[in-house]
Amino acid sequence: MWGVNVLEKTIYIRMRNRVLVEPEEKIYLMDIAQVIAPETVITDLKSLMVHQVTVYDKNIIIIDVMKIIRLISDQIEDVEVQTIGPAQTIVEVILQKRKMSFPLFLLIWFLLFFGSAMAIMNFHDDVSMRSVQEKLYKIITGEEDSKPWIFQIPYSIGLGLGMILFFNHVFQKRINEEPSPLEVEMFNYQMDLDNYVIIHENKESMNRTNDD
Amino acid sequence: MTIKVVAVMFVGLAGGLAVGSGFVAFLTVLGIIPRMTQLTKTMKMIRHYEWSVVMGALTGVAASLRDPVLGLSPYFMLPLGLVGGVFVGMLAAGLTEALNVFPVLAKRMGIDGKIIILIMAIVLGKIVGSIFQWVYFVHL
Repeated sequence: MWGVNVLEKTIYIRMRNRVLVEPEEKIYLMDIAQVIAPETVITDLKSLMVHQVTVYDKNIIIIDVMKIIRLISDQIEDVEVQTIGPAQTIVEVILQKRKMSFPLFLLIWFLLFFGSAMAIMNFHDDVSMRSVQEKLYKIITGEEDSKPWIFQIPYSIGLGLGMILFFNHVFQKRINEEPSPLEVEMFNYQMDLDNYVIIHENKESMNRTNDD
Repeated sequence: MTIKVVAVMFVGLAGGLAVGSGFVAFLTVLGIIPRMTQLTKTMKMIRHYEWSVVMGALTGVAASLRDPVLGLSPYFMLPLGLVGGVFVGMLAAGLTEALNVFPVLAKRMGIDGKIIILIMAIVLGKIVGSIFQWVYFVHL
């Protein structure tokens, strides 16, 4: 083999995206990553502790794959580590069950309620919807009516119906697997948050050079 | 004279082009047509939906520039109002979604699962606000 050192032991690691842990918990490799490894080393890997959660960690810990590789190569010799997928795991510490405060919820509910009521009234006024509706009434019926409620009441109900239709909450049972735009939006928002903490909470990637 | 006519026609065409493309761009950004095709599973008919928007806009132009009188029964206003309301409601929903209001609020309040309650607040607010305006507010 011309003296090439063939490493037979290859460990494949795929970091999980997001893991929830309790405070003071010990995090093991198997908790935060999917691992494929030869039989001979798998027991060592199972008992490999990656991190001990302390109060100083607050609620987000980023575990970089480089740290895992360092730990593995310290413990086991002659192994090659292959990483697949995300380069870090976000560990979220559940400090306490977040209790939803009911008064706050009511406040937000009424804020949204009156806010959107006022917003739609301003919108109608802004686009002069009243005169358009009266004109439309005249076009169709040929009569003048300053209170075309037969048009305006269905319009108002339709307004709410359209919003519900857009967010697809009429069909509570999902007809197909496609997520609603809101679910996609929630997912995107979570991804943005994750990306932020990956960069900002990761001690490994916050290496400052002294440039002053 | 001819130059004047041509100039006015040119300005009119340019103005219409700007407004029309703006209208279509607005609809596209809010994603109402894709949403409707996704709900009804009629992706193949999307060409026809485009034409329906264009024809609808042109009908609106004709109705607002001329003053035709059809002389139909007032009950024709009923479905017309409902359909118009649904459309504006979808515009509003699309706008709210584009502004990322719900994810931020739900996350802050820790009610990821019951986001529908927040939506209902906005939906009911819109309905009540609109009825209040037409029945009482504008006649003050």
